[in-house]
Amino acid sequence: MSSNAVSTRLPSWLIKKIYRNEISLETKEILKSLKLNTVCESARCPNMWECFSKHRATFMILGDICTRNCAYCSVKKGLPARIENSEPANIVEAVGRLNLKHVVITSVTRDDLEDGGAAHFARTVRMIKKMYSGVVVEVLTPDFQGDIDCIRQVAESGPDIFNHNIETVTRLYRQVRPQADYFRSLNLLKFIKDNYPGIYTKSGLMVGLGENRDELESTFDDLIAHSCDILTIGQYLSPSRNNIPVAEYIHPDEFKYLEKVAFEKGFLYVMSGPFVRSSYNADQVFSKNYGKKEV
Amino acid sequence: MFEVVVPDLGADVEKAKISFWHYDEGDKVEKNDDVVELATDKATFNVPAPESGIIAELCVKEGDEVEVGEVIAFIDEEAEELELVEEDEEEDTNF
Repeated sequence: MSSNAVSTRLPSWLIKKIYRNEISLETKEILKSLKLNTVCESARCPNMWECFSKHRATFMILGDICTRNCAYCSVKKGLPARIENSEPANIVEAVGRLNLKHVVITSVTRDDLEDGGAAHFARTVRMIKKMYSGVVVEVLTPDFQGDIDCIRQVAESGPDIFNHNIETVTRLYRQVRPQADYFRSLNLLKFIKDNYPGIYTKSGLMVGLGENRDELESTFDDLIAHSCDILTIGQYLSPSRNNIPVAEYIHPDEFKYLEKVAFEKGFLYVMSGPFVRSSYNADQVFSKNYGKKEV
Repeated sequence: MFEVVVPDLGADVEKAKISFWHYDEGDKVEKNDDVVELATDKATFNVPAPESGIIAELCVKEGDEVEVGEVIAFIDEEAEELELVEEDEEEDTNF
C-alpha cells in the first residue's frame, strides 16, 4: 500500500465508494435517452453512483439553469432555457423503466416565470399519479417567492410529500441564500400543513457552514412550530472553489446526536448523517418506522 | 487486461486528483476492492477494481490531476490466473 497520502484527504467518513455497475450505467442511459436532468448530476452529489446503482434518481425539472445564485450550489446559473413540454411524459416513462416506487421531483428556481414553474410541477405530478397511482410522489420545491397561488397549484396536484429545504440557520442566510428568506421558507411549510393536512411536510438542513448547536436546535424548534414532519440533516460539501467553503466537517457522532435531539423535538422522521441529502433514500420514510408516531 | 478509469463524477466535473492508491503494482486485488481514492473540489471517492487480478500498472501517482475518462491503472486478470496455475503446480509437486 502506498504511504504518501496527499494532505488534502477528507476525513474517512466522507469518502464515498463509486458504485459503477450495469444497473448504475443503465440508469444513466435511461435518463440520457429521455433527456432528463437530475439534481444528482447537476449538484455533483457524492451519492449519485450509489443511488443510480439502485435505479434511483431525483428528477430536476424546468431545465438545468437556475435564476438564483446560492453560495452552496453548483447548479448552473444564468438565463434559463425554454421549458420542455415533453418533460413530464418523459419522467413518467423513466418512472416505469426504473420501476420507481417513490419519485422525487425537484427543480431549478425559475424566478423568471410568472408562476415560478408551478404549473409544470403540477402537470408532472398529475401525470405520474395518473399512470402510477400507487407510486409515492415527493416534490422538493423552491419557495416560489412566497406566492400562495403557485404553492397551492403544486399542492393540489396530489404529491404525498411536500419538501422545501430550509438549508441553514437564520444567521447564515445572507451569506448562504441571499435571495431567499428564512421565514418565507418556514411559512411555506406551515401553509402546506394548514391547508393540506394529508400531505407530509419535509425540510432539510446542511451542517458544516459555521452554525452552532444552539442555532441548529433553534431551527429545529422553528421547523416544528411551522408543522414540518420530516427532517434531513447532512454535511455541506463545497462543490467548487467558487462556492462557500466548508467551515467544519461534522463527526458522525454529532449527526447521531442531532438526530436524537430532532426526534425529541417532535419530528415524525429524521435522517441525519454525513452523506444524507434531502432526497437520499427518500423511500425509507415509508418503509421504516423510525419515529414514535406513525408516518 | 482491465482498465481502471476515472468515472463520471457529476455535471461539469472534468478533473479529479489522485489522493491515495490503496495498492502498489504487483498487488493482488479482488473485484470491487477499493483501488484508488479520487478527490474533486466537492467530494472524495473510492474507485473499485472492475475485476479481480494483479495491479499491472499504476499510470499516475498520488497528487496527480487526472481527467474523467482517463485510464489510471491496469489490472491483469491473466496474471492472477497464472499465479493460481503456479500455485496449483507447486501443490502438485508436493504429492
